[in-house]
Amino acid sequence: MNPRSAAALWGAAITAALVAVPLTLRDRLPDPLAVHWGPAGAPDGELSFAAGLAVQVAMWIAIWGFLLAAAARERTLTRRMGRAYWWGTLVGGGLFVLGMGGTTLLANLDAPDWTAAVLEPWQVITVILVSAAAGLLAGHLGRGGPDLQAPAGAEPPRLDLRPGQRVVWVSRLTNPWLLAVTTVAAAGLVVVAVLDVAGASVGPVLPPLGVVLLVGLLTTSLTCRVTADGLRIGFGPFGRPARRIQLSKIDKAWSDTRYPSQVGGWGIRGLPGAATIMLRGGECLIIRYRSGGELAVSVDDAARGAALLNALVAEEVSR
Amino acid sequence: MLLTLDLNDARPLHQQVASAIRHAIGEGAYTPGDRLPPARDLADALGINANTVLRALRDLRDEGLLEFRRGRGVSVAGRADGRALLVERARELLDEARRYGYRREDLITILEELP
Repeated sequence: MNPRSAAALWGAAITAALVAVPLTLRDRLPDPLAVHWGPAGAPDGELSFAAGLAVQVAMWIAIWGFLLAAAARERTLTRRMGRAYWWGTLVGGGLFVLGMGGTTLLANLDAPDWTAAVLEPWQVITVILVSAAAGLLAGHLGRGGPDLQAPAGAEPPRLDLRPGQRVVWVSRLTNPWLLAVTTVAAAGLVVVAVLDVAGASVGPVLPPLGVVLLVGLLTTSLTCRVTADGLRIGFGPFGRPARRIQLSKIDKAWSDTRYPSQVGGWGIRGLPGAATIMLRGGECLIIRYRSGGELAVSVDDAARGAALLNALVAEEVSR
Repeated sequence: MLLTLDLNDARPLHQQVASAIRHAIGEGAYTPGDRLPPARDLADALGINANTVLRALRDLRDEGLLEFRRGRGVSVAGRADGRALLVERARELLDEARRYGYRREDLITILEELP
């Protein structure tokens, strides 16, 4: 089926179920509803029937809208990784939201009061496992054919190396948006630390902010370098840690235009052998390993880097 | 930024680096306003001292090709000077001519014979 009509039908069906099922069971539900449970399974948060319903529908509409918008832009579905993520999110995300709504209803069903609603942990685990499995399966089935290896026009210019020359290529890339998010996280950490000293209990915010800061520091900027030693990709403002790829492992290189929506977002995406280091949409340097896998790095001036890599690889082979 | 150093070039290293950067900018890899990779990255890649690269960058700033901005690093200020680029190309041409056994005078003769 055409992805756009599939998304429209599937999304409408999920929305209808999210609205219709609670409405038909309304007589058997307490108001307010228990909507959040502590680790032990005891309810610790409540919302009125209407608000609870609205939150669930809004959550799904956000995911659904995002997927519809992504499908409307042709490029998301032009690459295999993009299609797999898109179908996986559509099916897995839909089932997850539906499952959350269902377990909330089951827990509240026939409870005299929201404090008496008990959530069974196995239900939550089932919802997570089933939606994750369905998402993986949908991603696998919807991934479609393999991508063209080197699209027309992506061949880098030829570069001739002469003896007695040292040729290197250096490029650096910083994404100001990711840098801004990282800066906000850093500022947040300072605020939290100050509040903590002042005696407020803000401990739970600490780990997520720390993670955002660490991930941000490593993925807001990168340096790429091609020398006779091969390709070196340095992460973060100091170019460390770095990933080095020897010339002997590289089959060929080229440049291509890729976007976060095609590879599943920003940062380091995909699995070894089909990974992308995506800091911004646009020009990417892509290398194919002799072992068959591929690595893409978003970086400026990639065509020249690819040309030098190819020239160095050719020289290494003929040696 | 693609940089080429000729290991047989007798000029001081910082001049060679300046030539290589001028050449890269002249090739259109970097346009006015673009930021250059940090000097440290260039030095590491070329396997030379960072001070040598910095000296080359300062020379290019004095030439008007680059500008230094506090906190924003080094960026391209203008188009590469036409004459400087021609000198660069002529030097390469002369090198190539020598490889094929032609002397400077032969090259001048070839240029004069061109329509």
